[in-house]
Amino acid sequence: MPNIAVFIEHRSGVLKKVAWQMLSEARRLADAHGGEVWGVFLGPDAAPAAATAGKHGADKVFAATGDAFAVYDSELWGTALAAFCTARKPDLVLVGSTALGKDLAPKAAAKLGCACISDAVGLKFDGGWEIRRPIFAGKCFADVTFSTPLAIVGIRPNAFVMAESPKAGAVESFDPGLDGVRSKAKVMSVEAATSGKVTLTEAEIVVSGGRGIKGPENYPLIEKLAEALGAAAGASRAIVDAGWVDYSHQVGQTGKTVAPNLYVACGISGAIQHLAGMSSSKCIVAINKDANAPIFKVADYGIVGDLFAVLPALTDEVGRIRG
Amino acid sequence: MKIAVCVKQVPDSETRINLAAPAPELDQSGFTRVLNPYDAYAVEQAVRIKESREGVEVTAITVGPQTVKETLKKDCLAVGCDKAVIVDDPALAKADHAAIATVLAAVLGREPYDLVLFGLKAIDGDAGQVGILVAQKLGLPHVSTITKLELGEGSLKAEREIEGGKEIVEASLPCVLTCQKGLNEPRLPSLPNIMKAGMKPIETVTCRDLGIEAPANLVTVKLYSPPPARGACKLVEAEDPAAAARELARLLSEEAKVI
Ligand SMILES: Cc1cc2nc3c(=O)[nH]c(=O)nc-3n(C[C@H](O)[C@H](O)[C@H](O)COP(=O)(O)OP(=O)(O)OC[C@H]3O[C@@H](n4cnc5c(N)ncnc54)[C@H](O)[C@@H]3O)c2cc1C
Ligand SMILES: Nc1ncnc2c1ncn2[C@@H]1O[C@H](COP(=O)(O)O)[C@@H](O)[C@H]1O
Repeated sequence: MPNIAVFIEHRSGVLKKVAWQMLSEARRLADAHGGEVWGVFLGPDAAPAAATAGKHGADKVFAATGDAFAVYDSELWGTALAAFCTARKPDLVLVGSTALGKDLAPKAAAKLGCACISDAVGLKFDGGWEIRRPIFAGKCFADVTFSTPLAIVGIRPNAFVMAESPKAGAVESFDPGLDGVRSKAKVMSVEAATSGKVTLTEAEIVVSGGRGIKGPENYPLIEKLAEALGAAAGASRAIVDAGWVDYSHQVGQTGKTVAPNLYVACGISGAIQHLAGMSSSKCIVAINKDANAPIFKVADYGIVGDLFAVLPALTDEVGRIRG
Repeated sequence: MKIAVCVKQVPDSETRINLAAPAPELDQSGFTRVLNPYDAYAVEQAVRIKESREGVEVTAITVGPQTVKETLKKDCLAVGCDKAVIVDDPALAKADHAAIATVLAAVLGREPYDLVLFGLKAIDGDAGQVGILVAQKLGLPHVSTITKLELGEGSLKAEREIEGGKEIVEASLPCVLTCQKGLNEPRLPSLPNIMKAGMKPIETVTCRDLGIEAPANLVTVKLYSPPPARGACKLVEAEDPAAAARELARLLSEEAKVI
């Protein structure tokens, strides 16, 4: 009868979709194997989170509120999540593999001395847990088991499908145990990036450009198609290293790993390090003028042609279809 | 000032994994091993700090077999680290992240360091945990995924990448940092410096030398599986690129149902 806790992340009041994906999966597991699904919320106000958490299957939402949780702080938030685990003893805690979650999960796990498993894409319960996660940037998967009573598991955004399954989701507060805890690293400010409205790692569609775009002045071709698709704009390392776009756009073994529903690679040859970061995308499209480019080996659809001719027409047509 | 850089030797990013079916072990015997690319940013940052002020000593630390020595010499000592420590213990051959962190914390606990630098993640296991685990074990603050660093007296200011922007973080020293691409451009070692690196001290220790037992693993990999196979690519052919684009959009919308 495992009880699964799901960390409900927000950034300045905006709740993260990955939380609803994790709750939906936790609900499916609880319906099959028993146990409860709990939301865990740290923030100034738990009400909006609780309403949505209930909709996606949370039996309860445990919340610690207050100014300490207005901005992310590894020490304070890690202490609070650990305090929750100590008090409520969930069997599994799911934390989204976001910038915040990747920092919080090992921090809380180290405080508890429990297992921490990063960036998982599959959860199996069969008396015990088996956690599936990609390693070597997706060239291979590992099925991991753990020996501690509790494990904190990072979940990759879009690994699970969001579903609705209304439950009470009543809020219960818990003591985050912050008395006497001082943070020696403080977030002083948050600056929004100027480019890229959709975040790469969370996007359902990604359009990436490579050296085939010839120069930085042509990256808007990628951005325009991305915009028409409601997608995030990505890049190969070649054009990041050339300084055409910021590193935050890089997809691959030493950039972001993405697994969107649709990945469109434009003027990208498909080097092994690039494939590592995107080959688990559900549908892959390649647009490349070289029919022998390795990207076609992983693509589901391809156009052998000049991206300068294809992309504007594709952008127009997508705009028409999506209205 | 003392700086420690924790580095791992990993299979080259070119590595292909030929796994036909699920298997309990991953045969890594043919892999070419290199310095973890993210650790190169940590090494470079440490060396830049050393070059910018007086009296800085940089120690590279790794847990791994003696085969890491060449990587340590070429990519750490030859680019400016002063000395290195290898924890080489057969009991750690299958150590998980928590165990590696315990061992590193024991090494780092032998003398006080003002800064401890890590890579953001190792590109074999893709975990991104060890730096943060070590910070907690040592009771130090950490800033993860940094892309910019300004070192003050007794404190630092760092930028870290988050979705759609960055956070500016201030922390007191001593502090743990995990380094991301964008922080700097790692230099390449020169041939004379590679020769000279042979003279720099490399200390090899075991768990017993550190006064600890080999830590137990918390996680175990039961099975390694290949990624699901992909079908063949459907090439869209048409009289001109614009027509091909229209047909592609139709297929994505009606057949693949992804737009
Ligand atoms: C340690 C290490 C880590 C790395 N990590 C990454 C990583 O994280 N991500 C990554 O992407 N790479 C990474 N790389 C680099 C990788 O090996 C390749 O060099 C890189 O991916 C190539 O980028 P590209 O496909 O844009 O360029 P190229 O390989 O130069 O390919 C350009 C493609 O554009 C096509 N093209 C040209 N003109 C047109 C046109 N008009 N219309 C259509 N197609 C056109 C060409 O046919 C060609 O296939 C890494 C390398 C190393 C050594
Ligand atoms: N065996 C090791 N020896 C020394 N440092 C390590 C070792 N494993 C991981 N690290 C450090 O921890 C970082 C994160 O690794 P990981 O948590 O394994 O992704 C790496 O970039 C290294 O800086």
